[in-house]
Amino acid sequence: MSIPPSDDLILLVRNVIDTDALIRHVRTGADGAIVTFDGCVRNQSHGRRTLYLDYEAYESMALAKMREIAAEVHAKFPIDRVAVAHRLGRLEIGETSVFIAVSAPHRAAAFDACRYAIDTLKRSVPIWKKEYFEDGAVWADGELPPVPQDTQIRKRAS
Amino acid sequence: MSSVTSSIQVRVLFFGRLKEVAGGAEEFVELTPGSRIEELFATFVARRPELARYRSSLVASRNQEFAAWSTPLQPGDEIAFLPPVSGG
Repeated sequence: MSIPPSDDLILLVRNVIDTDALIRHVRTGADGAIVTFDGCVRNQSHGRRTLYLDYEAYESMALAKMREIAAEVHAKFPIDRVAVAHRLGRLEIGETSVFIAVSAPHRAAAFDACRYAIDTLKRSVPIWKKEYFEDGAVWADGELPPVPQDTQIRKRAS
Repeated sequence: MSSVTSSIQVRVLFFGRLKEVAGGAEEFVELTPGSRIEELFATFVARRPELARYRSSLVASRNQEFAAWSTPLQPGDEIAFLPPVSGG
């Protein structure tokens, strides 16, 4: 029996992500597996020592895209519940910037769905991070999300 | 036909490095009816020529959905210009 997506939990937060609460949210008696992804702030980028990161989002669109990802994950994999939280603002080294928990009756679907969710989030959710170093700050290189084709102006092979 | 509208207003948002280059995060812009996202961006390039070099490395959205450059604008649209995303 599939659980409706309304039982998913999709959050943007400005303080520490309560990872235990997300795991509790997806855990039900029907599940045999919970897979989590904890994305955390690394202490260096391309060999430069990172001091901290600052995340910003187009919040209304980011929440909409995160909900779309949860819906896609339900459509693609036999899972139970999804919880996704992304933190915004200043994050210190080692802190969790994004956390995903997926529950499923069987582990394979939970692993696949969790991987799909983080890969898709990184490609299509409008969130940006600025990296602060000892000698300055830069916006991190990112990925350009896929966009509906321009019909008249140009064509791009995908 | 009702009254003739000589312009439409849209809300424009910039994020990430584009916010810094554009000189602000939010602006309301008046355009002629039938204008497309491409033309809206061109009005900002006219004021801030350095924006032109970001044209090939940004995407636009209309009302929180990714949108092609050829998308026509409607009154009250919320248009955002988004640099490559780097969440996670």
